[in-house]
Amino acid sequence: MPKAQNSPKASQNLSAGSEFWTGVREEMPLIFGVAPFGLVFGVLGLESGLTSWQTILMSSILFGGASQIVFAQLWAAGVPALIVGGSVCVINTRHVLYSASMAAYLRHLPLRWRILLGYLLTDEAYAISIRRFQQEPPGPNQHFHLLGSGMLLWTSWQFSTIFGVLVGGTIPDSWSLSFAIPLTFIAIVAPILKTRADLAAATTAGTIAILGQPLPWNLWLITAAIGGILTGWLINRLNHQAGATS
Amino acid sequence: MIWFIMIAAGLFTFAARFIMLSNGISNRPPPWLVDALGFVPITVLTAIIVPAILLDPVGQTIALWDNPRLFAAALAIIAALVTRQMITTIGVGIVALWVLQWAM
Repeated sequence: MPKAQNSPKASQNLSAGSEFWTGVREEMPLIFGVAPFGLVFGVLGLESGLTSWQTILMSSILFGGASQIVFAQLWAAGVPALIVGGSVCVINTRHVLYSASMAAYLRHLPLRWRILLGYLLTDEAYAISIRRFQQEPPGPNQHFHLLGSGMLLWTSWQFSTIFGVLVGGTIPDSWSLSFAIPLTFIAIVAPILKTRADLAAATTAGTIAILGQPLPWNLWLITAAIGGILTGWLINRLNHQAGATS
Repeated sequence: MIWFIMIAAGLFTFAARFIMLSNGISNRPPPWLVDALGFVPITVLTAIIVPAILLDPVGQTIALWDNPRLFAAALAIIAALVTRQMITTIGVGIVALWVLQWAM
């Protein structure tokens, strides 16, 4: 960190409260995306035949938007339980990356802190708090930043799910609210498609998702994901080799 | 049964988030795994998006030119790339769908 070396704030003793509220404040803009997503999940959960309690508690037990949508959709389609669980797990393995990236900043904490912060480590909380850990001067209370961003996200996710469950039945079908799911995912994916490998991975996944529709048990989803990952991974690998030999 | 699957998947998800914070594992994941996991969001979400837009909900056939969802999604992609805001993307896509369903 060459920038911090000559700075008078090379390390800063911000209070726990100050770190916490900074995390909350910096997380705030993301809530505009998360709240509609939670609302859509609440509505969709009921439509899929889950009970209100199953829908609401899933937001605490899984606490991962895309995986919850997939759970509800596969469950509604009558897919065997093992495939539902397996699909959810594949989608959520990406969190290992966040965990690895956060380890350097959190590993010295007592176990109960690591359990709590691990539970709160979602895409959105990670995105905000890793910036503070990597770019701001370190401080003894910096983990409160992740606690703040994570707790705001958790609270918003629970309340928007509950709200979706409460209003879900009153929304007429002609509003096509279920279309909000692909739209939510477009909002996430379109801006992160950057490299040729990203585009190839997405194209492969989309193509398999269509061609694989006749597969039993909705296996098209998991097949499409694995096919796309392999394609992207191979292209990256070939690019690296080409770069190394030229 | 649903509770069992939900809790098992929930424990797996927590394990994925916690594993590198535990003191048992000291190594970072191998680079090939990091590389592969980086493609998970793109591929899973695209695999959900494409059938939701292209497949006719009733007939389960591929719908192209007479498909308002396809054009609404195209507008939403533009909105996502330009504004990078979720709420705007959802708003543009939903309103476009309403207008197109009314007009087509």
